Amino acid sequence: MSALASICGAIAAHRRSVEAEVQRAKTDAAFRDELRRRWQAIGRNIGRTTTPTGIEVPRFPLPQTDDPGQMARFLFGEGLPGSFPFANAAYPEMYLDTADAEEPTRLFAGLGLAEDTNKRFHYLTRHQSSIRLSTAFDGPTLYGLDSDTEGVFGKIGEGGVAIDTIEDMERLYDRFPLDDPHFSVSMTINGPAPIILAMYVAAARRQHGKRGVKKLRGTVQADILKEVQAQNEIIFPLPASLRFLSDMVAFTTSEMPRWYPISISGYHIAEAGATPVQQAAYTLSNGFAYVELFRARGLDVNQFGPRLSFFLDCGLDLEYAVLPRVCRQIWAIGMRDIFAADERAQRFKLHIQTSGRSLVASEFKNNLTRTAVELLLAYLNATNSCHSNSADEPFTTPSEEYVRLAAHSQSILLQETGLFKHTMNLFSGSPGLKALEGTVESAILEEFARIDRLGGVLPAIEQRYQRSQIQAAAHRLERQISDASRPIIGLNKYAEKSGTKSEPRVIRTPRARKEMQVDRVRRFKRRHAGKAGHALDDLARVVEGNGNVFEELLRTVQWCSIGQITGRLHDVVGHYRPAI
Amino acid sequence: MAAPIRILTAVPICDGHDSAINTINLELVHHGIEVVYLGYNRSARDIVRAAIQEGVGAIGISSYNGGHVEFFAEVISLLKKQHSTHIRVFGGGGGTITRADAAKMIRRGVDRIFFAGTPLSEIVSYVKANYGGKRRTPNVEHRTSKELEVRRFSRCIGIAGPGGVGKTTLIDELVLRFLQENQRTRIAILSHDPSIIGKGALLGDRAAMIYSQDDRVFMRSLATRGRAGGLSPDTAPWLRSLKRGPFDVVIVETTGIGQEAVPFSRKVVDTAILVLSPDYGSRLQLQKIAMLDAAQIVVLSKADLSGAPTALADLEQRLNLASGPQQLLAAIPKQHRDPGVDRLFAELTK
Repeated sequence: MSALASICGAIAAHRRSVEAEVQRAKTDAAFRDELRRRWQAIGRNIGRTTTPTGIEVPRFPLPQTDDPGQMARFLFGEGLPGSFPFANAAYPEMYLDTADAEEPTRLFAGLGLAEDTNKRFHYLTRHQSSIRLSTAFDGPTLYGLDSDTEGVFGKIGEGGVAIDTIEDMERLYDRFPLDDPHFSVSMTINGPAPIILAMYVAAARRQHGKRGVKKLRGTVQADILKEVQAQNEIIFPLPASLRFLSDMVAFTTSEMPRWYPISISGYHIAEAGATPVQQAAYTLSNGFAYVELFRARGLDVNQFGPRLSFFLDCGLDLEYAVLPRVCRQIWAIGMRDIFAADERAQRFKLHIQTSGRSLVASEFKNNLTRTAVELLLAYLNATNSCHSNSADEPFTTPSEEYVRLAAHSQSILLQETGLFKHTMNLFSGSPGLKALEGTVESAILEEFARIDRLGGVLPAIEQRYQRSQIQAAAHRLERQISDASRPIIGLNKYAEKSGTKSEPRVIRTPRARKEMQVDRVRRFKRRHAGKAGHALDDLARVVEGNGNVFEELLRTVQWCSIGQITGRLHDVVGHYRPAI
Repeated sequence: MAAPIRILTAVPICDGHDSAINTINLELVHHGIEVVYLGYNRSARDIVRAAIQEGVGAIGISSYNGGHVEFFAEVISLLKKQHSTHIRVFGGGGGTITRADAAKMIRRGVDRIFFAGTPLSEIVSYVKANYGGKRRTPNVEHRTSKELEVRRFSRCIGIAGPGGVGKTTLIDELVLRFLQENQRTRIAILSHDPSIIGKGALLGDRAAMIYSQDDRVFMRSLATRGRAGGLSPDTAPWLRSLKRGPFDVVIVETTGIGQEAVPFSRKVVDTAILVLSPDYGSRLQLQKIAMLDAAQIVVLSKADLSGAPTALADLEQRLNLASGPQQLLAAIPKQHRDPGVDRLFAELTK
């Protein structure tokens, strides 16, 4: 039996215990009185806000009830925001207007060469008090190849930034205060994640010394399980990939306490065509698999647990109205009851990105509406941070015009509208959402049970289970779009006749820039030719032995490019064999 | 009856977006087309080499990660260099390929770019209408006549076994060892996949291969086209032709076979290998597997599974019943540098 079966059991037991408390509240007079007192005390302590139009609202409205059973069901079954099992929110105040509120907005960027992205980062953050950079890498970087590799020229700097060496990394975040508590960076990379993070840490160390490393804040995606299941950007065989990851997590856990070393991602699972339930089920089960893995590596769940974070897609399907609420509860119950994790490690910390797959090229300005609705769903579900896609994303690396519109849509929602800044919990508790929550939770747990019957997450991967399910769902989705049984406005319904189709101006990396990058990495390799060989030999020895690969990488990246490093690692551990 | 249309599909290098192509592959197969699927993250060189070897009428490329103008151009330029412009090129990439890009790509020799929102049926009818002509099949002898003069001893290895036991992975790992052992070794692989009754076939073995995409490896994927037993009506002529070709080793891989199948006799191949995984069912099932008597080497793959020790014991007993000297080896082909595969390789080269 894998941990998933125990987790299903724990959730059923938790639901039973909530019902037992509800019964007790109805039958046990002393408990009833205690609950009433608690309820009133909570009510008294909830602050009130006055809106610009002059009405006064509670910051967190409690359900209106004098039934102690209802009080028990809310307090134990949903929890106040920031309280177990976190149905309403992972933290107490979320987006409410406060003096020190951090903006949850994240802007994803990456284009051309490192200095081009650096310029874009400075443009995006010029009005932000806290700086949150979210980095996209180009194809060769995502696959751990140097820009001078045969056949990748066209891909240099497309869809993300080209990073070959530690020097590119220095250029990428130039003139940003890496060790500042108000600065954080996120890096969307998986297969070569330990190499890229090693470049970042080594670059930061050059700039701020060893003590600066302790202060680094940020996230690296590094979720290799979803790569095998959906996104296909894994380069080493799974066992080797998991070892490199564990070594990296061991390092960040002890040396970089403010770092999030893995972002457990359902986004790419959903983008590959999975249903919302599949997305949640595979993401959560992958998360629990990582917990088992890191514990087996000897790490303490209360050390690394609070540094796990999640990344989900939010699309237009009905389930997205409740998906994060359900995920927060399953994670909290599983972590508490199966892994004995403390409260900090029970919190499902969530980043949401609106759905790229829901955007369409045809009559693309409709995408503004799609993204706005998805954003609303994401914030109603109390996401901790959010990225909104640009309307022109189906074509290209987003242009400044549409990036700005996407960023502003979040500010409009959070700052201009009154929906989120004065009061929380505006929509939860409705009969429709409650019913949906139950249905979605059961469906996720059924999926857990199926994975468990296959022996757990890793054996299921081996049997291609998650992949096969995602592919079948994607096929159904495409057929529904193709036969128009799923309406997509402007595409298969109410579409303009051809000839008037508009396309935005696309951004591409000019040939000369690509050549410049090729030239750069070649010069780097020539300059360090004397030292690279030894550095790679040292790395190979650590991989073959039991040392911490990440610590060695911090040295290797001083002299070697990403392609040199992956090349040598392939020699030692082999290649990932693609699954179809 | 005319031979089915054959095309090759792939996703470019540094691109893992295979969701669209998976759906399109299935649609094409359901409409009678044989699709050789090369998988994702494939270089233009790999794509062109495979397309020529497989004798397809066209290459369909699904690109979502940018750089498509250059990538398609590279494919076309390599086809020209190889005098293979009879192989046409088409593709798509949702919204990432703009109309302006598409116009440029078509000027450079691409037949057609499908935009986002194209009904699947339109893609199928396009392929059927345009790539169904008579194909030129590459003649192995002709193409390599120079090398024929230095005829080498070629050895033919047959690999059979049920579906999902890891035959393709095992072959790819053997190929790696053959290629590394001798810089001049050339290998041919004849791989088989089932046709769907009344429909086409998804020939997907290449997609899971890493080392076999090499200029020293010739590979041809055959669909069974209604033939039972693991091989195709075209197997025999292809095998004759490959054995006369400039290859040191010819490897034949069957489709996943049933218990009663004996796909090749010892006359056809020099060494017949049966690959089984530990999950063959009860011990009694082993009695029914005919190929256990015909194979010289039996490989128990997935030897890391918990049932492996039992399976090895059962197989050992079963093989004692068979006539002639046979070998039993345990291997974990998916593992890098697996000692079991090393032993099999040593056996094949001694």
